[in-house]
Amino acid sequence: MINTQLAGALEPPWGGGVSPFAVSWQKLMMWLFIIGDALLFAGFLAGYGFVRLANPTWPNQFEVFHIEFIGLMTFVLITSSATMATAVGGAKVGNRQQVLRFLGLTILGGLAFLGMQVYEWSTLIGAGAGLTSNPWGVPQFGAAFFVITGFHGTHVFTGVLILTITAIRFVRGRTRFEGVELAGLYWHFVDLVWVFIFTLFYLI
Amino acid sequence: MVKTFNDVSTKTYWKIWSLLLLITLVMMLIDTAALARTLLVSLLLVGMLAKASLIAAYFMHLRFEKLSLVGIVTAGIFFTAAALFFLIAPDGVWILKSAVK
Repeated sequence: MINTQLAGALEPPWGGGVSPFAVSWQKLMMWLFIIGDALLFAGFLAGYGFVRLANPTWPNQFEVFHIEFIGLMTFVLITSSATMATAVGGAKVGNRQQVLRFLGLTILGGLAFLGMQVYEWSTLIGAGAGLTSNPWGVPQFGAAFFVITGFHGTHVFTGVLILTITAIRFVRGRTRFEGVELAGLYWHFVDLVWVFIFTLFYLI
Repeated sequence: MVKTFNDVSTKTYWKIWSLLLLITLVMMLIDTAALARTLLVSLLLVGMLAKASLIAAYFMHLRFEKLSLVGIVTAGIFFTAAALFFLIAPDGVWILKSAVK
């Protein structure tokens, strides 16, 4: 009788099985992190949308930025996402050389993007732009630019660190397919956020 | 036909890469065209969502995950982001109208 009650109490209330999303807990946690992080950028971009709507004018992006250069930054980041996906593909089939070569290329892509962002920031700062003022007449423009691209750049920098650690762990045999896949998820997310920033901030 | 993660080859990733670059180029060209503002913004938003979908579906393999996970990720982000924007956007318009008066 007591055993039957115990067995009943120990039965999980969830009837959908042990893995309702059919992914490992590490991957599920990464997805939950990505959802939370996406909302951080959603907040920034919603705030940016607010100041765009509240201002009768907004600086012409073609006058402030070299859009072709921003296009090149986009090309570098998209390419680094493709190399990352190729590294994950290599890890899936156990091709060690492919993993390391393409992880290396992804890290290089991330560093190139960061270098270009440093150039872009220094050009704007040199022109007199700051968080509270800028030469183009709308003070919120500088705040939106530095906060949004600054947070994104920090994510790229963190991504480069994560990829480097993943590569070292992979060489030492401390991580296999899943470690590379999780690092890849984060990297693609950083690329995904740039797709929104590029369109909403630089093009529209 | 790519149906599961195991069917995805390196070729698929580079096909998606070329599509992403093509959409980016088209968006940059559209941005320089003399189009009505509403049409221009709508086209750019379509391009942006197309690129985001391709990255999430193929690079992040969301296309091959269970529908419950896809739903949580996409609906969760989309509806919360939309709610964030539409809760504060009317105030932006109100401030603009007050300033114009």
